[in-house]
Amino acid sequence: MTVFKILLRIPWHLLFLAGILVLVGSLALYSASQGSWQPWAGRHAVRAIVGMALVVCIAFIHFDFIKRMSYVFLAAAILVLLAVMVIGTGQGVSRWISIGGVNFQPSEPAKLAVILALARYFSSQPHERMRSFMWYLPAFAIIAVPFAMIVKQPDLGTALMLLFGGLVVVFSAGLPWRYVFGSLAAVLAAVPLLWLQLKAYQKARVMTFLNPESDVLGAGYQITQSKIALGSGGFFGKGFLMGSQSQLNYLPEKQTDFVFTMIGEEFGFAGNIFILLIYLLLTISILRISFRVNSRFAQLTCIGIGMMVFFYMFVNVAMVTGLLPVVGAPLPLISYGGTSMLTVFIGFGIVASAIVHDRRQS
Amino acid sequence: MFRAKTKDLRRTMSRRGLLLAGGSALLTGLLGTRLFQLQVAQNNRYQRLSDRNQFDVRIVAPTRGRLFDRKMRLLAGNAESFELYITPLYVDDLKQTLAALGQIVELTKRDIEAVLVAARKGPSFRDIIVRDDLSQRELARLAVRSPLFGGVSFGKSLRRIYPQGSLACHITGYVSPVTAREIERNQSLEKTPYLGTGKVGVEFAHEDSLRGLPGRERIEVNAKGQPIRVLRDIDAMSGKDLQLSIDIGVQLQAAEILRRGQLEPVELGSMSVQRALAKNNDLQAHIALGDDLVLRDVKDRLVPPESGAVVVMDIDSGEVISLVSAPMFDPNLFTGTLLTRDWRRLNSHPRTPLLNRATSGQYAPGSTFKMVVGLAAIEAGVISKNTQFNCSGDMELGNATFHCWRKGGHGMMNIISALEQSCDVFIYEVALKTGIRKIKDMAHRLGLGDVTGIGLPGEKQGIIPSHEWKLANQGRVWTPGETVVSSIGQGYVLATPLQLAVMTARLANGKQVTPRLVKSVGDAAPDFAPLDIDPYALAIIREGMFKVMNGGLGTARNYDLDKSLGGMAGKTGTVQVKRITKAQREEGIVNNIDRPWAERDHALFVAYAPVKRPRYAISVVVEHGGSGSSTAAPVARDILTKLMQKQG
Repeated sequence: MTVFKILLRIPWHLLFLAGILVLVGSLALYSASQGSWQPWAGRHAVRAIVGMALVVCIAFIHFDFIKRMSYVFLAAAILVLLAVMVIGTGQGVSRWISIGGVNFQPSEPAKLAVILALARYFSSQPHERMRSFMWYLPAFAIIAVPFAMIVKQPDLGTALMLLFGGLVVVFSAGLPWRYVFGSLAAVLAAVPLLWLQLKAYQKARVMTFLNPESDVLGAGYQITQSKIALGSGGFFGKGFLMGSQSQLNYLPEKQTDFVFTMIGEEFGFAGNIFILLIYLLLTISILRISFRVNSRFAQLTCIGIGMMVFFYMFVNVAMVTGLLPVVGAPLPLISYGGTSMLTVFIGFGIVASAIVHDRRQS
Repeated sequence: MFRAKTKDLRRTMSRRGLLLAGGSALLTGLLGTRLFQLQVAQNNRYQRLSDRNQFDVRIVAPTRGRLFDRKMRLLAGNAESFELYITPLYVDDLKQTLAALGQIVELTKRDIEAVLVAARKGPSFRDIIVRDDLSQRELARLAVRSPLFGGVSFGKSLRRIYPQGSLACHITGYVSPVTAREIERNQSLEKTPYLGTGKVGVEFAHEDSLRGLPGRERIEVNAKGQPIRVLRDIDAMSGKDLQLSIDIGVQLQAAEILRRGQLEPVELGSMSVQRALAKNNDLQAHIALGDDLVLRDVKDRLVPPESGAVVVMDIDSGEVISLVSAPMFDPNLFTGTLLTRDWRRLNSHPRTPLLNRATSGQYAPGSTFKMVVGLAAIEAGVISKNTQFNCSGDMELGNATFHCWRKGGHGMMNIISALEQSCDVFIYEVALKTGIRKIKDMAHRLGLGDVTGIGLPGEKQGIIPSHEWKLANQGRVWTPGETVVSSIGQGYVLATPLQLAVMTARLANGKQVTPRLVKSVGDAAPDFAPLDIDPYALAIIREGMFKVMNGGLGTARNYDLDKSLGGMAGKTGTVQVKRITKAQREEGIVNNIDRPWAERDHALFVAYAPVKRPRYAISVVVEHGGSGSSTAAPVARDILTKLMQKQG
């Protein structure tokens, strides 16, 4: 295949939509620092450009190679997660490792590794086995091991997203409905057990979520202020750089987890809906690619990555609007934070590689 | 077979992919709904919460409406005043800074304590007042040193001033800082800094329109409570100015003439005067109020100025042109922090300067009440113009004797000569025949016994006694002797100087003249309803009053207004303050001037002028002034002379 053909087949519309989100993100971060490219907005834009270049690079990697390496990726991810448990840094939690001065959050790419490993597992199985429950156990193990490690870090938000991403792949692979409902029941039954595993501050978060007004200045502060900021934005917002909640620092973490809130305050309901639609468009575009690719591996990978992007957005927005507890989840491409952006762009790269090197396309 | 199954699987996957796409769209819709709920449906609620976060609201005091006299001269205005503020946020050691400030400006222990308490209670970014009403000197000293004090700043506010000093004190009243009791009644007062409220006088009566509406300033604060900027979103609305009917020029003349009376001013600087002052507590209390007028009486004794009241009214409009009550006080003392020293001086002053004698001082009207009795008698048909009674100097009633002021009696009297010479016995006879009920009714029709409604707080209604009144207040029945005593305006009868002026105005034009302090808009005089008294009866009374000034034996014949100004018609009143016992009467009554001041007679005089076309009514009360003719009448004459000469 010629370079030209590869470039032609790259799904540029994904990059275009991602570009819009990055632009919105840069503007929001510019506002978050009271109208300055420092310290976030500039670096965010540069990282995005690097990320987009990475998408094109990955598109050139043959998809079969990615398929072959998928178990290796998973093993590597688990190893790095292990390393985090030993040498990780972070405020009272071990989520990050430092490589050459660059902080890195290995739980993010672990999501991709899980999706790839699952897709590979299901693609290599003959159809007959798909009906037996035993056959799904290794898949659940692929999800469960990194999930448990990330929960232990603890990083509930990322762990849940990894869980959702993995389950979506299992579901798409054709998990019989009886198992779908069966596992749902099992999850519900496991809630009390999970509750016991939570740390005190995580429990507090969940309690605050159930009743944020109970502790307006304490644990409920973030969500209360976030709702005030969103709500006071109104339909068209208070205007760029005019969000009083954000500009006066009532809103915590406005450059990372609560960036959506800040956009809501300054650009209102209209601005927020715009972002939601771009995300939905991105998700559906990737799902559409999954219908076009030939191999099961490619198909499952694309569904997994598409839904991963969606879950990122959903968990973050549901969190800042008070629909989910504050679990700590960034809004990829908009929030300041390299790892989630990198993960999403690598995901796009894999999707690009899947479609570029698909047999049916030639 | 296998192929088909693979196809099945593909279909399953595609179906589930679609399901996921649909699920995503559904969940996005859920988020959109949630955002709609927060941002559109509940926007108002969150906007409010956001504002509360963002702003510290400060109330801006409105500019109080000014008071002017009838010629637009300022009676009460607003002057800039400077305050010293401290912002705890920018001060390292509050106590130390305050101590250092105390070296530069006057600070009491209580001031400092108040600042420390406020600093503990409020947010650290809020300015706290340290001192108000800084003097020019303090300002200058602070300005030089202010770089040394972080967190110290100046504020400017408006402070009420009364440029006429004490001259109109009882009319304007004064404004002073809001009290705890006022806040109890009106919570909104508390939030307005530096708001003064009218406590007495017009300042109190017209408080609502003078005060205006406070404005609102919003100070934007960040999450740490530091101020970012100030937004003024509601401008304070100034209070309405008010023009009074008072002529401050006439007021000045009236006050000077009343206070001086028939006394001679003395030079305060001389040694002998100083020595005499040192021994005289009354005079010291008087001088402590900042009044340097000291006079000498006919017995060569040093005395303070006369106290009493003068009311001058425009008869046609009811406008009060002058309303003097002496002694006076300086209302400017109250506008800031009233010093305990000043308050004590005002309250312990033997002559109660805070009392507005013109509207709240109640005096026995004495012989000025005789017009009431005369009118009631004529209307009742008891007497006519020529009905005569003999005055032998006293009158027996039961086993009591009622004396005329003139020992030997007046001889044959009719109503006109009885008024002219102020014969008591004639009035006794007439009153007994008329009865207290009709006298009471006439008194009320002439404006006595009821508040006039001039619009000054604390106005008294006086007393016009009757059967019912005595039964209700004393639980005993009315006796004819009390009718006799009441008929010459003594006993239970009480009236305010303002009521006496209103009575005189009503006698002069036969209408229900009602006094007012606020200048009427335009020239249209109010159309007062007629009194419904026979004009012929009124003419008889007026003739009596004319004779008081003009008759050969008129009690005030020496004090008539110059004929070129139209002359006046009046009535004197000399009111016993202390009952004269029979023993004293036989021994010979001690001369008024030789009695202690508080036991001397009150001197009263009422008049209207000019005689032909009455324009002004005046009432004068000189407390313990001696005789209505020799003390009060010349005061009225001099005031009217000045007033009417100026009118040209």
